[in-house]
This record gives sequence, C-alpha cells and structure tokens, in this order.
Amino acid sequence: MTRVQALFAAAAAAIGIGLWFAFNSTADALQGEYSRIINIHVPSFWVAFVAFGVTAVGSVAWLRSKKSRWDRLAASSAEIGTLFSGIGLFTGMVWGEAVWGRAWDWGDTRLATTAVMFFVYLGYLALRKATPDPLTRARRSSILGVIAVIQIPLVYFSVNLFRTLHQTQSIRPDGSTMPDEMLMAMGINVLAFTVLYIALLSARIEVASAEATAASQPRLASDGVTPPRFNEVEDV
Amino acid sequence: MPISLNSVGFGLGGFTILSDVTVSVEPGEVIGVIGANGSGKTTLIRMMATLVSPREGSGMVLGARLGTGEVYPVRKRIGVISHLPAVIGQLTLEEHLRHVIRLAGLDTDRIPAALRAVGLDGAAERSGSASSFGMLRRTEVARLLISEPELLLLDEAFSGLDSEAGSLIDTLIARTLAREGAVVLVSHDRSHMQSASRVFSIGGGTLRTAP
Amino acid sequence: MRFWGQALEVARVDFRIEAREGEVIRIVMPFAVMALLVFPLAMGLDLSTLERIGPAVFWALGVLFGMQVALRQSAEEAVSRKDLYALAGLDPAARFAGRALSGTLLTIGFFAALWLGMVVVYSPGLPAGWPGPTAMATALVAIGLTELGTLAGEVTAGLRNRTALASLIVAPLAVPLVVGGSQTMDSLARDESILPWVLLLLATDLALAVAGVGLARPLEEASR
Repeated sequence: MTRVQALFAAAAAAIGIGLWFAFNSTADALQGEYSRIINIHVPSFWVAFVAFGVTAVGSVAWLRSKKSRWDRLAASSAEIGTLFSGIGLFTGMVWGEAVWGRAWDWGDTRLATTAVMFFVYLGYLALRKATPDPLTRARRSSILGVIAVIQIPLVYFSVNLFRTLHQTQSIRPDGSTMPDEMLMAMGINVLAFTVLYIALLSARIEVASAEATAASQPRLASDGVTPPRFNEVEDV
Repeated sequence: MPISLNSVGFGLGGFTILSDVTVSVEPGEVIGVIGANGSGKTTLIRMMATLVSPREGSGMVLGARLGTGEVYPVRKRIGVISHLPAVIGQLTLEEHLRHVIRLAGLDTDRIPAALRAVGLDGAAERSGSASSFGMLRRTEVARLLISEPELLLLDEAFSGLDSEAGSLIDTLIARTLAREGAVVLVSHDRSHMQSASRVFSIGGGTLRTAP
Repeated sequence: MRFWGQALEVARVDFRIEAREGEVIRIVMPFAVMALLVFPLAMGLDLSTLERIGPAVFWALGVLFGMQVALRQSAEEAVSRKDLYALAGLDPAARFAGRALSGTLLTIGFFAALWLGMVVVYSPGLPAGWPGPTAMATALVAIGLTELGTLAGEVTAGLRNRTALASLIVAPLAVPLVVGGSQTMDSLARDESILPWVLLLLATDLALAVAGVGLARPLEEASR
C-alpha cells in the first residue's frame, strides 16, 4: 500500500467514525435533525481555512527558496481549499433554507465573506491557469497567495463585527450553546476532515509532481523555424 | 570582469531558449553575437542586463551574482538599447529623458546638450507616440550619453537607422570603450560587427564562436 | 535619488500621463455615473427606498469602478518601460508607492464625483456631521483600493485577459473596504461609533501597504 493509499484508508475510517457520531449524537433542541449538517458544514470551513493557510505558507516558502515543491504545495492546497469552501457554502445554504427558510441571507456577513474568500481563490486558480510559464506562474500566484491570506482573520472575526440573522458563533471562549454530545461529534468530524484534507493534498501533490516531470522535457524555442524555402513551393 | 556566464540556461513556457551558454566579456572589449530570429539573442542580452535570471548555471555581471539581490545596485551601470525603443509614448522626448534621468539620480542639466548631440534639440517637444523609430532611437542614445554606462548592451541597435543615426551608435560604443567599459553587440547582420574582437553565433539555444 | 524622491517622480509622471490620456475623467467616471442611473431604472424603486440605498450604491459602485482607476490602461507599463525603470535604478518599492500615491489621488477625485452624482440622483438623507467621516472613509477606501489594484495589475501584467482577471482578483479582496466604508456611514446614521470601521480600513490599508512594499521586488520580477 502506498503512502497516499494509506492516508485515504485512514481518512475513510475517520470519516466513517465521524459520521457515526454525527448521526448518534443528540440533535439541537430548536433545529432538530437539520442541526446534524453542522458536522459537514463546520469541518468543511475548517479545512478551507487550514488549506488557505497552507497555501500562504507554501507561497512564502516559495518566495524565499524558489523550490518548486512549495509551489506545488500551495497550488494543491488552494484547489482543495476552494473545493471545501464550496462544500461549506452549499451545506450552509441547505442548512439556512431548512432552518430559517432562506438559502442565502445577505444579512449574514460570515456567509457572504466566506463566499468572498471562495472567489479570491477562484481568482488565484484563474491566475495560475492564465500563466503558462511555470516560474512566472509560481512567482505571481505565490504573491497573490500571501496577499489573499489576510481574508482569513476577517472571515473569522466578521461575525463579531456585524449584526446578522445567522446565529452567533457556537463555540465561544466563555462556553458553547451546543449540547456537549453535538460539540464532540463536530470535533471528531473536524479531525476526520483534516485527515481527508491531508490525503487529498498528498494525492494532488503527487499528480502535480508528475505533471512537472512530464513538462520538464522542453523543446527548443527555435524548433521548427527554418530558412525560407521559396524554391520548394509554387504559386507563391 | 563585466560579464561572466557559466553554463547558463533559460526557458519560458515550456521552451528552452538558452542552453549551456558560457561566455565572458573583458573590460575594453566588444563582442558580437549573431543569430537568426528566435535564436535567443534578446534573452541573452536581457540576462546580461540582469533583467532575467538564469534557470540553470550561474553568472556574474559587474560583480553581481545573477538571480540575487546583488543585481539591483549595479543596474544603473548598465546601458541597454533593445530592438524596440523604450520611450514612454505619452511623454515628450524631453519629458521622457528628464523622467528617466531624474529617477537615475543623474544631472538633468545635461539633457539639452545630449539632445543637441543626437540632433533632436528641435524635436524635443514631440511626443514619443508621434516620433519616428529613428527619433526614439536617438532619444535612447541621448539617455546613454548622460548615463555613461560601464556595460553597453545593444540588441539590433542599428536596425531601422539611417547612416547619421547609425554613427551615433558607433559613438556610444567608442565612448564606452574609452571608459574601459565593455560592449555586447547583438545583430542578425554581421556587417555591424567590425569593431568586435570576438564574434559568436547563437543557435539552438547555444553559443559558439562564429567562423 | 532617494525612495520618496523616486516615488514622487513616478506619481508625477503618472498624473501627467493621465492628464493627457484622460482615461479616468473621460471613461471610468462617466461609466460609473451612468451605473448610478442604471440601478434605479432596473430596480423600479420608490423614492424613499432610493434615498435609503443611495450611500450603499455609492460604495458598491465606487469600489467596483474605482478599481478600474488603478487598472487603467494608461497605468499599464510595457515590458520595455519596466526594463527601463529597472536599469534606471528605480526601487521597486518606490515604484509601488508612487503608483499607489497617484492612483489614490485619482481615485479620491473619482469618488468625489461619484458622491456628487449619488446625492443628485438618490437624494439620500445624510446624517448630521457626515462630511468629515465620509471624507475620511473615502480616503481610506481609495488608498486600499489603489494598493489592491496596483498589486493585482502587477500579478496579471502581460496576460491576455488582464483587466477581467485583475478585477476578479481585486473584487473579493476589496470587500473589507466596502464593509468599512459603508458601515462608517451606517454607524454615523445610527449615532454609533465609527471607530471599529475606521480601524478596519486602516488595518486593511496598512496590511496592503506592507504587502506591496515587502513584495515589491518579487512583484517587479514577476511582472516582467
């Protein structure tokens, strides 16, 4: 079994355990069974934030060392972070529709700013896609990765700065509004999603390394350019 | 030694432009580089100008290691004429000169004399976008007459110039050599390289002594 | 020439070029003022709603169109000009500071014109003491927006779809500026402290300034 396969096996086991706890913990008294969505919603955002932090770390490391492995780490993590923030947003919409009758609430600044963070990384991925040269791509996207990470504190603290219709943060320094069982289930799922993130990241980095190896057999820029051969053609 | 490149390589977008290039240039020397279109001449000049870093190998220009922060302080001692004139089109020729000379921290009082020397004193108020290719070239020469670079890099500098303007390039070369500077002259036309002590040809990304 | 001397020289030439090209005055500003008219036409709102949403529309359009000031064509430098600056010994951080300075002043002028247009079209009920906080918020938003636009312009330099891609990059990152600016006005209307929003704007501007100056050299290499 390869390292990536072992990680996926561990992730599968962790997700399985997380799901068991998610469905066997006490549901929230007010929200009922819908509250179990929190076991995907919150861990997805957790992974998104971690992934974007890793992108920032990879970006800084690349800028300092210019080693391509850091660029592969940053880009792979950004892709996964974008995916999980999308999952978090979708589950948030499902949860919102079920509990408050509104799939998207523009009064909920945390939801809106998390969506904004999603678009920041879509821009990051679009920039990478638009830049063909590997070194230029690494340089530009690492700069953007460093700048983009300033979003993460804003998302986390925005709920404390704005009045919203969304419930205030369940996990507070002075205690929690969720039942302990639910809190534990959510914590287990956060760990499970973290293992899944590590597995996905490892797999994606392997693919990126293979892509880099395949692209490292470049052609000469002057290949295919020959002296004019008018004597070989007619009608011109 | 003004330039010392050791097995440098450079590529862009999956294409190799330079491969295993080794060359050095001594003070007071003119070297010529000839090559066909797309052979990597411009990239070589830009690398010698410290504007691109080698992706393989190593190099030193005016004592600064390429690809490091050491290149920043030496750039002001390098003069480049590229195959496309670098004149800001929205400014007049005189404004452009004043802008670049000011940024370089040089004496702007020398601008009128430099414009007169290159024959542009009567056209200094013309905007860059309304000036001919030859006029833009002369503006670049005026800039280099003031900045007096130690290392002069000329990329197809003679192309599109009449004989009068072409003689300005010869003057630049002569003055640089008189200062014990070095000159690298790139062209696809060997007839421009009579002053070169060594001539190389570039092709397939590599540099060879030209026959 | 020292850092601020170079920065001021870059800003001076930027202004001169903009004065001749007139891209902000002739294109960006009329486009934004037209958008002020489009909103009420599209939404079919009554006057009381218009009065209420006017300031919010101002901030939204201000940020979306204001970023075009930093991304304007006349500010984009060809590779040959970048090379020229590099060989003249222009400090990349001074270049960023100069671009930010000229862009900020142009953006403030743009915001002032847009504010005037909004007041005329939406007739908002403005809270007592609005000029000072509005001017301060506008200036802070303009600084941040210009810094963002300059950074985004550099990382997308030379790319085919530069304007659209740079706008995609700037728009989400500009949200703290939209929030800070609009909440400043909102807090003023509710007679609450504007300090948190001013601090948010200051923090954003400072973070972007540090990023712009700290990343100036890699940015300069990346944009050539």
